[in-house]
Amino acid sequence: MTIPAALLAQIEEAISHYPVSKRSASLPLLHLWQEHFGFISDEAVSWIATKLELQPINVLELVTFYPMFRRQPAGKTHIRVCRTLSCSMAGSYELRDALAASANIDIKTWNEHMQGHAHGDNSHDHSPKKLTGHAVHNPGHGNPIAVSPDGKFSIEFVECLASCGSAPVAMVNDLFQENIKIADAATLWNTKTSQATRTLTTQPHPREHRLIFKNIDKPGRGNDLETYLSEGGYEALKKALSSKPEDLLEEVKKSGLRGRGGAGFPCGTKWSFIKRGGPKPTYLICNADESEPGTFKDRYIIHQDPHQLIEGMIISCFTVGANLAYLYIRGEFPEGALILEKALAEARAKGLLGKNILGSGFDLELYVHRGAGAYICGEETGLIESLEGKRPYPRIKPPYFPAVLGLYQCPTIVNNVETLCHVKHIVEMGGEAYAKIGRPNNTGTRILCVSGDVQKPGYYEVAVGSITLGELINEVCGGMKPGRSLKGVIPGGSSAKVLRAGEKFKIKDQEVSLEDLPMDFDSLAAAGSMAGSGGVIVMDDTRNMVEILNNINEFYAHESCGQCTPCREGAQWMKKITDRIVAGGGVESDPATLKNVADNIAGKTICAFGEACSWPTQSFLAKFKEEFSAKSLKATPPPMPPEYTRDELIANDVIPAVRAPRGNGHEIMAPAATR
Amino acid sequence: MSTEVPLLNVQVDGVWMQFPKGTKLIDACNKAGKFIPHYCYHPKLSIPGNCRMCLIEMGMPKMGPDRKPIMAADGHAEIAWIPRAQISCAQDIVEGMGVRTDSPMVQECRKGVMEFLLINHPLDCPICDQAGECRLQEFSVEYGNAESRFLERKVKKPKNVELGPRVTLDAERCVLCSRCIRFMKEVAHDDVLGFVDRGGFSTIACHPDKTLESNYSLNTVDICPVGALTSTDFRFKMRVWFLKETKTIDVSDGLGCNILIGSREDKIFRITPRENNDVNQFWMPDSHRLAYKAIHSENRLTQPTVDSKPVEWSEAIAVALSSLKAAGSLAMVASARLTNEELYLARHLAKALNITLHDVIPRKGQPDGILIPEDRNPNTAGAKLLGLTGETPGTALPELLDAVRKGTIQGIVCLGEDLTECGFSLEDLAKLKALVTTSTHSNATTKAAHVVLPGTVWAEKRGSMINIHGRLQRLNKAVEPIGHAKDDWEILAALLAGAGSNLSLHSIEDVFRALSQDVAQFNGLNLGKIGDLGIQLLPKAEVATPTA
Repeated sequence: MTIPAALLAQIEEAISHYPVSKRSASLPLLHLWQEHFGFISDEAVSWIATKLELQPINVLELVTFYPMFRRQPAGKTHIRVCRTLSCSMAGSYELRDALAASANIDIKTWNEHMQGHAHGDNSHDHSPKKLTGHAVHNPGHGNPIAVSPDGKFSIEFVECLASCGSAPVAMVNDLFQENIKIADAATLWNTKTSQATRTLTTQPHPREHRLIFKNIDKPGRGNDLETYLSEGGYEALKKALSSKPEDLLEEVKKSGLRGRGGAGFPCGTKWSFIKRGGPKPTYLICNADESEPGTFKDRYIIHQDPHQLIEGMIISCFTVGANLAYLYIRGEFPEGALILEKALAEARAKGLLGKNILGSGFDLELYVHRGAGAYICGEETGLIESLEGKRPYPRIKPPYFPAVLGLYQCPTIVNNVETLCHVKHIVEMGGEAYAKIGRPNNTGTRILCVSGDVQKPGYYEVAVGSITLGELINEVCGGMKPGRSLKGVIPGGSSAKVLRAGEKFKIKDQEVSLEDLPMDFDSLAAAGSMAGSGGVIVMDDTRNMVEILNNINEFYAHESCGQCTPCREGAQWMKKITDRIVAGGGVESDPATLKNVADNIAGKTICAFGEACSWPTQSFLAKFKEEFSAKSLKATPPPMPPEYTRDELIANDVIPAVRAPRGNGHEIMAPAATR
Repeated sequence: MSTEVPLLNVQVDGVWMQFPKGTKLIDACNKAGKFIPHYCYHPKLSIPGNCRMCLIEMGMPKMGPDRKPIMAADGHAEIAWIPRAQISCAQDIVEGMGVRTDSPMVQECRKGVMEFLLINHPLDCPICDQAGECRLQEFSVEYGNAESRFLERKVKKPKNVELGPRVTLDAERCVLCSRCIRFMKEVAHDDVLGFVDRGGFSTIACHPDKTLESNYSLNTVDICPVGALTSTDFRFKMRVWFLKETKTIDVSDGLGCNILIGSREDKIFRITPRENNDVNQFWMPDSHRLAYKAIHSENRLTQPTVDSKPVEWSEAIAVALSSLKAAGSLAMVASARLTNEELYLARHLAKALNITLHDVIPRKGQPDGILIPEDRNPNTAGAKLLGLTGETPGTALPELLDAVRKGTIQGIVCLGEDLTECGFSLEDLAKLKALVTTSTHSNATTKAAHVVLPGTVWAEKRGSMINIHGRLQRLNKAVEPIGHAKDDWEILAALLAGAGSNLSLHSIEDVFRALSQDVAQFNGLNLGKIGDLGIQLLPKAEVATPTA
């Protein structure tokens, strides 16, 4: 194996980004390797382990965890189709099938093998049949890539690509494509241009208050530093660098800024947990792992206005006293990562990053770190573990609160992209002025991402609470599609509890209908749901709520990291139950079992994923009870589809086998790692 | 150890108790008699908090506006109960905190976790080696559900995977507690295990280029709370509930790992380490646990012989003494593998036979940095204390060999050693007029000896030894001696009696009594007082071996 000098240089450069621990360079090296060689071979695992002074298992653990790393080659053109809720509502399953048909891939057979089910009807003859084509190697998460017989094309159904407002979306190799027409599927294979920086609209809606998205949707505007500077960019940074960090912190506290990642935690309070001047360095991490289904706000900031984010980050680092920061961007934004890299280089060249920024004496190094397709990396301690080059298993709290024991066991601040951008504006206008936007305790603006069954899905930046859910849907988003009516809304990303049309909520002793619900943190919490990440998914009366929940359950079953028991087992169980109900096999006890399983997960797990995966089930069951009971009528469970036995799987080469070393003549399954 | 650890007040199920600061809540509850079920928590490993079995209801002292706890009428802090269940393994106790270990919330949590752990488990208890000592079984009885609600296909995972030469994995039984991964990384310092895949498909694995071959690999089997990791040696050999467990010590090296011998009808099936925080903690090397295989090996001696002919014991003893007397000048090669009791009698025998030249054969090896020390003899300290050897064992051996070669020594009493191990050639042995040896297995010395007296191995006898740290530990008898082999103290006592000693010895207790009256360090002790965990007899030696 020869590694070209250029790749080696890139590898050395990547390692240099992690002065504290080489291990952190695991993901960057795997990305570099896959970009060059097409997939991660066993040899690659060993080479990278040696390079980073790790055990090979440490690297293998990552390769098998992150879906974006593949251990077999994909087709020359590899298309990732988004499977998650908004895209599937817009036809992503049909899109995948059309793509498969145009590439001569037998997706139906392939799919059955992924499930580990035998072919054919329920007859007793399920003798093993040799699999055709090169497809599946492992029932389970193993290899989700279906390759065409000629090896030219491959399809992968992936979870949320974070562009729900322009569903269905896909990535052709690294090129992002949106609003894909199923009829045009075949032409997708020849895609040569990306739509990642395309503007969706040209004119903000009059109800909007654009602060963060001021520069979004300006046709022809570049995302380079010159453009940003000409608009008065980095002036806030200059102002900040001439102030005292304590005063800046005070401004942020005064602004009442609440985190935009999902939990809505007050940003100033979070920052004040950092004890300045301790023996350990402080780190700041930008959480750009946007992955809550229904949320697609950070995508536009990163692709169209990267310098706003960088400026917000530099100011935030100066405020909390961090000299090293990372921008953890989700793996599904390869183009975004390049844009950020370029922007960072520009900033560095202008003295806005590095040593003695703008002569202030403040030093900051800021690097981009790419994830590789894992929702759990959006959980801040999971993100930290991932950044340390480990499996992104969230940490137990206590004792691992990031502000005390974060990255490399040092005090660490993790903030969402949008939150960090707000900091720039707070410095610009002052905390008090900022706090006047929105409502008390719900200050500032908020980017609402609307997807699903509305006329004009998209992103809308509004003053927090200045708009009700009804106004958002009917006025801003142009209402429901013709002839359809509202059935339900998920107001804050797919983990937020669903709200049903016609529901009444008690808010501050007032009865409020769904349409009159203000879109702010406190009102949505009072309605029993949450503002979450701002992803609003609208469903109309044609939607089958069992199928919707099944789609959500599949997402969480796929994204559970598997560290702790309730979520690992429960998320998959819920998915299997709704799978069966959707397939017509629902039994009377299913709704009660589903609810109880969800109850047994929520509040019992290491991280908030437990709640995230059980709230949809709990709320869909409670709000759309009749739909679930109507599909759960059988007294006894139906017979299961025939399943390959272990011997059949081995005979079919689905599972590689080795001869039993102790000579009983049988073949046994090879260790999981070799499959 | 500091005695100044402050005690904190913690309310356990309504009762206020005190525990030293730094105690984990799970351990505090255990001390209070409220066992908290758990899988992933292990006191000697890092805490991942992943099994969620130890969830409890917890409360913190209620704080007043002055940030001071509000005191209730009973003088203790009022408790504000946290509505969300907490894991007790990662929580250090805090002054004034409260815990409910069996409230409805806690019961609900345990029931839920037990159900989750079993839905994808193969439920193959009838053929599982862990059955009988499986935490899944135990907690199922106490906290599980009688009926399964799971109507779906179970996840298929690898079975019969040989992770290494001694450990076999059944991934479907695994609860992914990561104890084995953490042990290999943190204690064995051989980071070969990890998780592959994710979510419900997560599986323990070794990198294909590596195997779990560390000399500590079998400890992963011990700490595996379920039947996922099994010992390839013990697999399918015996149901664990038929095993008689004997608490004794390992004699493979100077540390003397505390162990349990699992035997049935005088056959040993397995050896597992026994917790002793002053010696081996919870661990033991693989090499030591498989040492039992030698006990029933082909070359085991079962019959006393004179000039290779089987004889009765009485005749063997008589011939031994008469040939030694006839030989004239004698020497003794004893063994630092003998118990204190045997060494004590050996010294008396030396005196009775006018032997002044005696020593033991030292055994040294590279320490492994974990448990195995340089000294591979289990009772060097005993041999020194009881005067069979000097400060540096083995120094008299060259002189002894020289004397044999010169002919100034013409008879040797060899106790459980092979003289070819300390430089004797077969010619040297042939020169001796009398060579009397006790031994458990045949070797070059027994082949050359005039009288061979078959002794017992460590698992067949009682007695005591002193480890490299000066700790007096006790051996117990797990199985009966094989054939006509006799306990070594009985052989030595018979030789002593024949040599005219007036010691009255009818049992091992008699020997220990004589020893304790004779040797100051043993004053006031008896075998019972040594207890299962041993006692510090000599000042802790400086030969500090790094322990895990």
